[in-house]
Amino acid sequence: MNQHGFILWWDRLVAMTIKELKQLIRDPVLLLIISYFFTVDVYMAGSGINLNLRNASVMVIDHDHSAASRELIYRFRQPYFDFKGEIFDTHTAESLLDQGRILAVLDIPENFQRHLLQGQSVAVQFQVDSANTVLGTLATSYATEITAGFSQDFAAKRLGPDSGQRASLPVIQNRYRVLYNPNQIDGWFMSISELLTVTTMLAMMLPAAAAVREKERGTIEQLAVSPLSSLQILLPKVISMGLVILLGVAVSLFLIIIPVFDLPVKGSLGLFFTVTGLYVFTASGIGLFVATISRSLAQVTMLVILLMMPILLLSGAWTPPEAMPQVMRWAMKISPLYYFNEMSYAILLKGAGVRILWDSLLGLALLGAVFFNFGVWRFRRQFG
Amino acid sequence: MNLTRVWAVTYKEWREILRDRLFFAMAFLLPVGIFMVLGYGISFDVEKIPFAVLDRDRSAMSRDFLHRFMDSRYFDYQGHVTSERELDPLLANSDIRFAIIIPPRFQEQLLAGQATSVQSLIDGVFPYRAEVAKGYVSAIIANFNAQSLVSHLAGTQGKSREQALAQVAPLRLESRYLYNQALRSQWSISSGLMMLVLMVTPPFLTALGVVREKENGSIYNIYASTISRSEFILGKFLPYLLISSLNILILWWVVMNVFGTPFKGHPFFYYAASVIYVICTAGVGLLISLLVRTQVAAVMLTMVVSFVPAMLYSGLLVPIESMAAATQFESHLFPTLYYLRITWGSFLKGLGWEELWFDVVALMLYAVILWIAGYMNFHKRPST
Repeated sequence: MNQHGFILWWDRLVAMTIKELKQLIRDPVLLLIISYFFTVDVYMAGSGINLNLRNASVMVIDHDHSAASRELIYRFRQPYFDFKGEIFDTHTAESLLDQGRILAVLDIPENFQRHLLQGQSVAVQFQVDSANTVLGTLATSYATEITAGFSQDFAAKRLGPDSGQRASLPVIQNRYRVLYNPNQIDGWFMSISELLTVTTMLAMMLPAAAAVREKERGTIEQLAVSPLSSLQILLPKVISMGLVILLGVAVSLFLIIIPVFDLPVKGSLGLFFTVTGLYVFTASGIGLFVATISRSLAQVTMLVILLMMPILLLSGAWTPPEAMPQVMRWAMKISPLYYFNEMSYAILLKGAGVRILWDSLLGLALLGAVFFNFGVWRFRRQFG
Repeated sequence: MNLTRVWAVTYKEWREILRDRLFFAMAFLLPVGIFMVLGYGISFDVEKIPFAVLDRDRSAMSRDFLHRFMDSRYFDYQGHVTSERELDPLLANSDIRFAIIIPPRFQEQLLAGQATSVQSLIDGVFPYRAEVAKGYVSAIIANFNAQSLVSHLAGTQGKSREQALAQVAPLRLESRYLYNQALRSQWSISSGLMMLVLMVTPPFLTALGVVREKENGSIYNIYASTISRSEFILGKFLPYLLISSLNILILWWVVMNVFGTPFKGHPFFYYAASVIYVICTAGVGLLISLLVRTQVAAVMLTMVVSFVPAMLYSGLLVPIESMAAATQFESHLFPTLYYLRITWGSFLKGLGWEELWFDVVALMLYAVILWIAGYMNFHKRPST
């Protein structure tokens, strides 16, 4: 009996899963959108987005017109800066900055070269449009580096023609190594980040939509009088949507991220998919909970977005966890995406295994168990 | 166009919204909620980078050098290790994002007037953060070097410290941050979020407006009635426009009073431009609602066309200048880019119609095109 009961239970689960998949396939627009997310969207995020400064337009007010000033201007060039020419008064400079036509203005004072040659210290002014903080910070940082380089070369020239002397000066040379992404390819980070976001969104939305649709159309009553338990009604929704999402992640990884962006997968793909599966399960638990407290898809949508924003934000994808205020850092511990994020980058880019990631894995598993059981419990209370 | 009929549809829609209390509450809570979370959560300030140290010299000078990192607010000291092998798991698990290795004979070489080198390892998973961290490290080392050189020159050539300094670093860069003097990303982010939130929430309000009637069949009442296409679309649209226009004011208040961002522009101009923007974004939702057949598809499509451009193509997080050419072109296809210029121009730069007319006209054009597209795609005699 027990074995027979189990087979029956299992058959019903499979039948319901197939029903969910069929229902999904019959909505071609939805399928098209899902595949768009996993391919075009991930591709665009990875290829187009670049958080480095490229070709920032800069103009110069040169009061000196000397060899030294030309030498300095010449250093503001591509790839970081794009020298757009000279302007003659501060008024024009201000209006150009106002309109956002240029990002920065370099102001070189009179007697620039003479003072330098006399061994006096000279200051040049750099006005940056910092309405966009990222651009403002990067532009200033590169400009500082450029002037420091100019300054150093100038000093070296003056300190003596024998450049062998430089090695015998007490200075520290910085030898840095950028790990995991030595060429600093933005595409790696951005495409993975987008993939994780898309996964979160679909994993919360699709099962919730599938559940609330039954309510909206009244078919939930039929299910309630059928011999199915509430777990048998809910689990197929999660399993079918989870399968679709895992398939999407695989497509995205093997057709877009790895071949297009040359991502070297350092860790185990098996572990990555296990983690993804666990995460989809966790996120759909949240989705199911939302489905139980709402009556229509409009409500589901609103609630999912409201819950998704903090989850995305507390994931550490846009702001590193250590830079967050303490309260936010505690809050991050209950955002499942935080663990998923950490583990995905650690597995794919850093080659970390279970030995290193066990604590994040445990955290995600615990959250998953809590969220999913809560969702099922709410549903059972509503239709038990 | 018969205004009585428009009013009838509007009134019916308004009643429907009011009766769904959860939906009605969310229509106002959602924008503010998203706003607060993102406003406090998104920050591009790279600070408190956790780091570890491998000091192979353990001298007074190496300690002095390391203290410059420990005392900096940009770095957060996590401890010493005794071998390079211990650094790998720390970096792989994101316990630290930066490590610095000091070679043996560090002090001895510096005191002998020789050059030495330190090695820094930077976690490059997010290239932007790696870039900024690299900048901080170079700045600290450059500062240390300048001091070391000054005392060296003062000692060996008998010059005053000032003379020596001018000789070592003759050129300084004075940066002036315009519009956002303290380089507070919160100012630009919080005002920029007006763009994001007003892009994301209005379409979700309207997206289900028509498709809901399609899915539960009540659209046939409309098909059978005497109301014209444009009267129906306008009637559906007005209640949501009203909600979103109120939301503009609420968000504006939050930007100024909760985040303390100053408003330097013309209030009437900005409000008018914002309403045009909301017509565009809510119109996007309505257009989707007219195009698709199921509610899930409508919600998903709305996510594609609202979240993605608002996050990635607007210039809020990722500067337009640093995008690839194709992405730059794409970003001009969405209204977000134009409204962000208007918002930053109004809030931070104090600009008005004379400088921003182009962007306002672009938004108006956008609204007109959306309207025509919606009108063309709504038929009272469905083909099926």
